Amino acid sequence: MSSADMDVTKHKTFLIDTTKCTGCRGCQVACKQWNQLKAEKTVFFSGEGYQNPPAMTEHTFTRIKFRDYEKNGQNEFAFYKEMCMHCNEPACASVCPVGAFVKSPEGPVIYNASRCIGCRFCMIACPFGIPKYEWSKAFPLVKKCTGCYSRIKEGLEPACATACPTAITYGSREEMIKEAERRLKNRPQRYFQAIYGKEEAGGTSILYLTHQPLDELGFKKVTTRPLPSYTWQALRLVPGIFLTMGGGLSLLSWFNHRKERIRQEEGFKNSKVQPEKKDEMKGDNQ
Amino acid sequence: MTAAKIIINEIKGYHRFLQFMIALVVIGALASMVRFIFGLGVTTNLNDTYPWGLWISFDVVTAVPLAAGAFTLGAIVHCFHIKKLEPLVRPAIVTGFLGYSLVCIGLLLDLGQPQRGWHTMVYWNVHSPMFEVSMCVMAYTTVLFLEFLSPVCEKFGYHMPLRVLRWLEMPLVIAAASISTLHQSSLGTFFLIAVDKLHNLWYNPLLPLQFWMSAIFTGISIIILEATMVHRYLGQPDESELLEILAKILPWVLAVYLAVKVGAVAFLTHGSLFDRPGLLALFAAEVLIGVIIPMLMFMKQSNREDSRMQLRGAGMVIFGVILNRFNVSMFGMIQPDQVIYYPSVTESLVTIGIIAGHILFFVLLAKYFPIFEHHPETVDYSMPDHFHATEAHEHDQGKGVEA
Amino acid sequence: MTNHWNDLKNSDCILAIGCNPAENHPISFKWIEEAIDNGGKLIAVDPRYTRTASKSDIYAQIRPGTDIAFLGGLINYALQNNLTHEEYVREYTNAAFLVTEKYDFQDGMFCSFDDQEKTYDPKAWAYAVDGAGNPKKDMSMKDPNCVYQLLKKHFERYDVDKVCAITGTKKEDYLAVAKAFCGTGRPDKAGTILYAMGITQSTHGTQNVRAVAMLQMLLGNIGIAGGGVNALRGESNVQGSTDYGLLFHILPGYLKSPEFDNTDLKGYLEKWTPKTKDPKSANWWGNTPKYTVSLLKAWYGDNATPENDFCYSLLPKRMGNYSYGKIMEKMGKGELEGLVCMGMNPAMGGPDSGHARTALGKLKWLVTVDLWETETSIFWKRPGVNPKDIQTEVFMLPAASSVEKEGSISNSGRWAQWRYAAVQPVGESRSDLHIIDQFHKRVKALYEKQGGAFPDPITKLSWNYGNGHEPDVHLVAKEINGYFTKDMTIVDKDKTLEFKKGDQVPMFKYLQDDGSTVSGCWIYCGSYTKDGNQMARRDDGDPTGLGLYPKWSWCWPVNRRIIYNRASVNPKGEPFNPKRPLIAWDATEKKWKGDVPDGPWPPMADDKEGKYPFIMVPEGHGRLYGLDLKDGPFPEHYEPVESPAKNMLSKVQNNPVVKLPKNVSSDLGKFPFIGTTYRMTEHWQTGGMTRSLPWLVELVPDMFVEISESMARQKGIKKGDKVRVTTERGSIEGVALVTSRLKPFKVEGKMIEQVGMPWHFGYSGLATGDSGNMLTAAVGCANTNIPEFKAFLCNIEKGGKKA
Ligand SMILES: Nc1nc2c(c(=O)[nH]1)N[C@H]1C(S)=C(S)[C@@H](COP(=O)(O)OP(=O)(O)OC[C@H]3O[C@@H](n4cnc5c(=O)[nH]c(N)nc54)[C@H](O)[C@@H]3O)O[C@H]1N2
Ligand SMILES: Nc1nc2c(c(=O)[nH]1)N[C@H]1C(S)=C(S)[C@@H](COP(=O)(O)OP(=O)(O)OC[C@H]3O[C@@H](n4cnc5c(=O)[nH]c(N)nc54)[C@H](O)[C@@H]3O)O[C@H]1N2
Ligand code: SF4
Ligand code: SF4
Ligand code: SF4
Ligand code: SF4
Ligand code: SF4
Ligand SMILES: [Mo]
Repeated sequence: MSSADMDVTKHKTFLIDTTKCTGCRGCQVACKQWNQLKAEKTVFFSGEGYQNPPAMTEHTFTRIKFRDYEKNGQNEFAFYKEMCMHCNEPACASVCPVGAFVKSPEGPVIYNASRCIGCRFCMIACPFGIPKYEWSKAFPLVKKCTGCYSRIKEGLEPACATACPTAITYGSREEMIKEAERRLKNRPQRYFQAIYGKEEAGGTSILYLTHQPLDELGFKKVTTRPLPSYTWQALRLVPGIFLTMGGGLSLLSWFNHRKERIRQEEGFKNSKVQPEKKDEMKGDNQ
Repeated sequence: MTAAKIIINEIKGYHRFLQFMIALVVIGALASMVRFIFGLGVTTNLNDTYPWGLWISFDVVTAVPLAAGAFTLGAIVHCFHIKKLEPLVRPAIVTGFLGYSLVCIGLLLDLGQPQRGWHTMVYWNVHSPMFEVSMCVMAYTTVLFLEFLSPVCEKFGYHMPLRVLRWLEMPLVIAAASISTLHQSSLGTFFLIAVDKLHNLWYNPLLPLQFWMSAIFTGISIIILEATMVHRYLGQPDESELLEILAKILPWVLAVYLAVKVGAVAFLTHGSLFDRPGLLALFAAEVLIGVIIPMLMFMKQSNREDSRMQLRGAGMVIFGVILNRFNVSMFGMIQPDQVIYYPSVTESLVTIGIIAGHILFFVLLAKYFPIFEHHPETVDYSMPDHFHATEAHEHDQGKGVEA
Repeated sequence: MTNHWNDLKNSDCILAIGCNPAENHPISFKWIEEAIDNGGKLIAVDPRYTRTASKSDIYAQIRPGTDIAFLGGLINYALQNNLTHEEYVREYTNAAFLVTEKYDFQDGMFCSFDDQEKTYDPKAWAYAVDGAGNPKKDMSMKDPNCVYQLLKKHFERYDVDKVCAITGTKKEDYLAVAKAFCGTGRPDKAGTILYAMGITQSTHGTQNVRAVAMLQMLLGNIGIAGGGVNALRGESNVQGSTDYGLLFHILPGYLKSPEFDNTDLKGYLEKWTPKTKDPKSANWWGNTPKYTVSLLKAWYGDNATPENDFCYSLLPKRMGNYSYGKIMEKMGKGELEGLVCMGMNPAMGGPDSGHARTALGKLKWLVTVDLWETETSIFWKRPGVNPKDIQTEVFMLPAASSVEKEGSISNSGRWAQWRYAAVQPVGESRSDLHIIDQFHKRVKALYEKQGGAFPDPITKLSWNYGNGHEPDVHLVAKEINGYFTKDMTIVDKDKTLEFKKGDQVPMFKYLQDDGSTVSGCWIYCGSYTKDGNQMARRDDGDPTGLGLYPKWSWCWPVNRRIIYNRASVNPKGEPFNPKRPLIAWDATEKKWKGDVPDGPWPPMADDKEGKYPFIMVPEGHGRLYGLDLKDGPFPEHYEPVESPAKNMLSKVQNNPVVKLPKNVSSDLGKFPFIGTTYRMTEHWQTGGMTRSLPWLVELVPDMFVEISESMARQKGIKKGDKVRVTTERGSIEGVALVTSRLKPFKVEGKMIEQVGMPWHFGYSGLATGDSGNMLTAAVGCANTNIPEFKAFLCNIEKGGKKA
């Protein structure tokens, strides 16, 4: 867990410009193809527009969400790609008791399946609801977007980014932020003035630009503080508490015992009760 | 054959209630087999929006504070040196040991890869509250086991280990209290990561502190409940006079807890508290029934003395803490547009089996081991003569039994 | 496409009318987005708010089938507001040409209509010619009989209010479109029009396209970077297949297929070789004899000699119409014995599928060559029929898919790109080339053994693509390019070129009409030369910065990336837009710089050698006024065959030269709603390739029907309800998708609802559903016969078929 020492500016980062996303879902299919994920059994459309499948699952690492609505008498038909945000300081990695999730030096948050004990804490922790579980299996594991780590290790771009005709730009976080800022500045009327992911959850390796206000598209409002810090502020006290507690109680009992011993000794001086009592005990036991 | 027959005959002699408990345990065991054959998806109503359900919310998050009697009482008796209460310690330890063992079972059922449980000990992640909790739970279960060995040794008259255990008593109690403080509070730390998920009524940075404090008064209340019940139904001695002492401690702890909780909600949360009426009602119920009413009740001398009132107050506190743990781990985590989770039949049967198991084993232990009749002043901790032969020999023996 | 995909990025304004590139040509958006990034505007004109519309700056709703009104209104707007590119119009189009006095247009009808035959005599629309036989011109364009004035008069009637009343477009939206697009009439602006099936699938589809082209000529947008008339073509190699003569009326390279009275080669060439007396006109089709003879040499090889007319007599001669619709009509009457369906699914793809499916049952035999079991190959066991009642013998030949074989694919931008086989064909599947090769070999052997009524067309074929198991596709490609049949010395201006027998012909200007060259498709001459396979080039250098990539693959003709590019410069050869020069005449070097120009001649202003830019028509000028269409020299608005509206422009309701089938009905009592069919990203065409793929089925698993929120309220239909849609032809079931993206149209003061649906579903594959084409009418464009898939009348009811 040394993400703090990593140079996030060099991390491989997606710039997903939803103003350029046509909702073609090439990314969605490319992801299934590369990762050899099973098709979901779906019916009709599960959400607005042509949205399907109904949710991200162990078989679906990325999905285009559709928004199909009217605003001031104007149609809005918007699409955005849901996927793991590859947080700079991933909550999933921080809570994992066995360190199965790690932030790789390249950027993707990767999963070591052979470590995972299947506790699903990562699912609780992820502010974006990304990790999914193999519910159908007797000994399930967690599944999520791999950031196509195997591809980027070979110098390729992720499958979805490769398939995307328009919306995805891929590069170092530094460059992607620069590019996003350039777009915001160049065409202010086209963009809602925010880069989702720049600060969210302490910054992520996925950055979004939108036309519509973020909440209108269903982007989750999340804290800008890195999530692990929320837990760490308590956890870091552990050794201290342990020592204080142990030390305190030891002192307390030593003190109380001493008090008793003194009382006993004084009592012993003043009366003859103690030895008798001992006898009594012995007798009882026989 | 004969052994089985003996057991069956023995069971036949049990009270109907116990037989019913056995049935529940068997059903629960069968239900847990379903989980290992067909997986969690089939067995439970868990899904990707509800990765944690009844098993975690009750079997782990709630069961742990419910088993807190052991460390609380241990500390009260040994550290604060209120020796009078010592008769209550052993039942508390038994409950604790059973509780934690069942927590472990619950966890193993809930884990996707239970066979890799040991990974937590090998692949450390000190940033994970779950790593912390699992280490603690393992450590503490060991401590409880050691403490629990006392009645076992007594029963079989193993003097040597008994002496070692007696000698270990203080360190164990202190370890128990320290470890418990850590993991009871760390259970609260679990939910600190759920910044934008857990509702503001519960989410605040003092959650771990609250979890710990509530574990303390829950522990106390559990002891009251248990002692009253065993007196009523198992014909054990009436300890209500001792319980009165506990009832005296309770309102103080509750008051401090209340102050912390209200203070935290008032000053340490951001965003709206009153946007979800349902959650607000749950919060109110938890605080009113679980904290304020019993606190007021136990402030009155007459209530503290009245065994019926003791039971009611303790019951309310326990209800309150159960509700609190469910509020934090389940209800408060439900997002406004989410469908509601409810446990499946199989899932519930497992939990019911675990609860039944707890009661069953408790009764059985009480039946076969010296748990209630234990008044330490009556036990002979002196060394039997034949042990005086050589010191070395003594040590070997001690170790042998311990291992 | 006059231009090409990458060129879209150069545009200042992209008008997507009757196409949905975001969904059907997703990759195009790469370039469209680039244009938008450079400050370009995107306009979407579509009945529905599509994924393309969602990316547009301006969206204008249009009632299906009213594009001529829409585009006519833009033409009028440009003319009335002086937004045209004056010099371009005067110099490069036929605006200044005079038309004979006979020309007349009255209340929706052009002159010389034969009421009996339902045809026009286009001779009545000819230019007025001077003594030398050249068209008369009035360069001031003031003569009342000049094209410009006739045009102005014709489109005067298309004022904004009238247009909006017809199209149902909101006036402010229409004006926004007009202002933005007609603003590209300035020389320094480029506007492109993208169109596809929303424009072509209409009884006046060709005139729709003409309206597009005319608007572009008026705005000076043809031949320039970022401009053009750009048909977003469909099937991945449909450009290639049209180039190679897919349609019944053309031979490879857009040579005309012989008609019954073109009895000999001389007669054929006489009829189809256009002539001009104007020395400034390149009249490229004047080369027809060279291309025809080279083609015959490719087909009949050594058997083709000057003495036997190069085997011209072996070609079939056509009489009348052999279009898809006619074939189905004949098949339905039992007049066809057998059918080979190679990569086609007529039980699904054509109009009035119900009839098509019945018609297939009248065949003795049917061969399908496909990757999958299709609705066509299992038509005999489709739902609702008893296989025992169908006698047709069906043969299914498994075909190898595009990634399992080597060859070229021509994209919409005319780029022929060479592809390699990525994997081995699955199972027993074979490449189409192999299958055709086997057909040929075996049929030829049968003819040779058994004789027959007329064996020569087959037995005399020259067919040498190797003796291996798999024919050598490179030999095919080399023959298409063409080679010399004997040693040749050619003098080209100052150069003397020596060729040996068997050498590849470097480019089509060296093709000959004496049998000394072979070329399977003259427009591809230059694609496979002595320098190798030009289509396989992969050099991504872009010297102009315009995205021409001259060394990436190969583009017909002569690797010219943007055709009519001589129109991008003024008569002196200087680019109209110096900021985006496509070609420019270098007066000192005496040569063109930039893209490959439309012919090597100096600019038009050069008195001796200068040529007009529109080299493919004999008069050398872009035709604002058309001479050879079946339904008039100017586009005129008519309603679709099934329409809820009366024609508001004239008394003539439908295109007068279109013959109506019996099963059409405009009875609004029975069919009160406008129906339309379209495609979507997630499925491909008749669905064979996508409804068999679980990953795509997951995305769109069911046949659905899109309706507006108001219609949903009116009919009590909720999202996800089963609905039934009915037309005069049939009735289908689907799931209702209620969306604000579809809205009713204002027609004659009433709101008329629309019902939209994909046509991708059928009864084979993983995801099955009812077919949109059970509803559509077998009536097509007057010129091309393309069916009117986009506008019909229907009814919709809640509840599925059983309800
Ligand atoms: N994913 C996918 N891509 C494809 C195909 C496919 O099946 N799936 N098919 C390929 C083929 S063969 C072709 S030909 C192309 C066709 O590509 P497109 O022409 O883009 O395809 P369509 O969806 O049939 O029609 C385009 C639009 O025309 C609109 N429209 C309907 N009627 C009218 C009208 O009267 N006027 C105007 N202005 N618009 C109208 C429809 O609402 C629709 O949005 O797509 C190719 N690309
Ligand atoms: N209602 C309605 N109907 C329409 C249209 C519309 O817009 N609305 N559009 C029309 C248009 S534009 C078109 S182009 C037609 C298309 O109509 P069709 O051409 O009949 O339809 P496709 O599904 O494209 O059929 C192509 C078949 O070729 C197979 N195939 C793919 N690759 C190969 C190969 O390499 N070799 C061989 N032998 N087979 C292969 C595929 O599996 C598929 O079955 O449909 C028309 N029908
Ligand atoms: S989005 Fe969730 S799963 Fe992905 S890296 Fe962040 S916390 Fe982990
Ligand atoms: S489920 Fe696996 S990856 Fe997730 S927190 Fe638990 S052990 Fe780690
Ligand atoms: S990065 Fe790879 S795994 Fe992640 S969504 Fe894209 S294709 Fe799927
Ligand atoms: S591939 Fe790109 S444009 Fe297509 S849906 Fe995915 S993100 Fe959007
Ligand atoms: S389907 Fe193929 S041809 Fe069509 S846009 Fe996608 S990549 Fe291009
Ligand atoms: Mo097409």
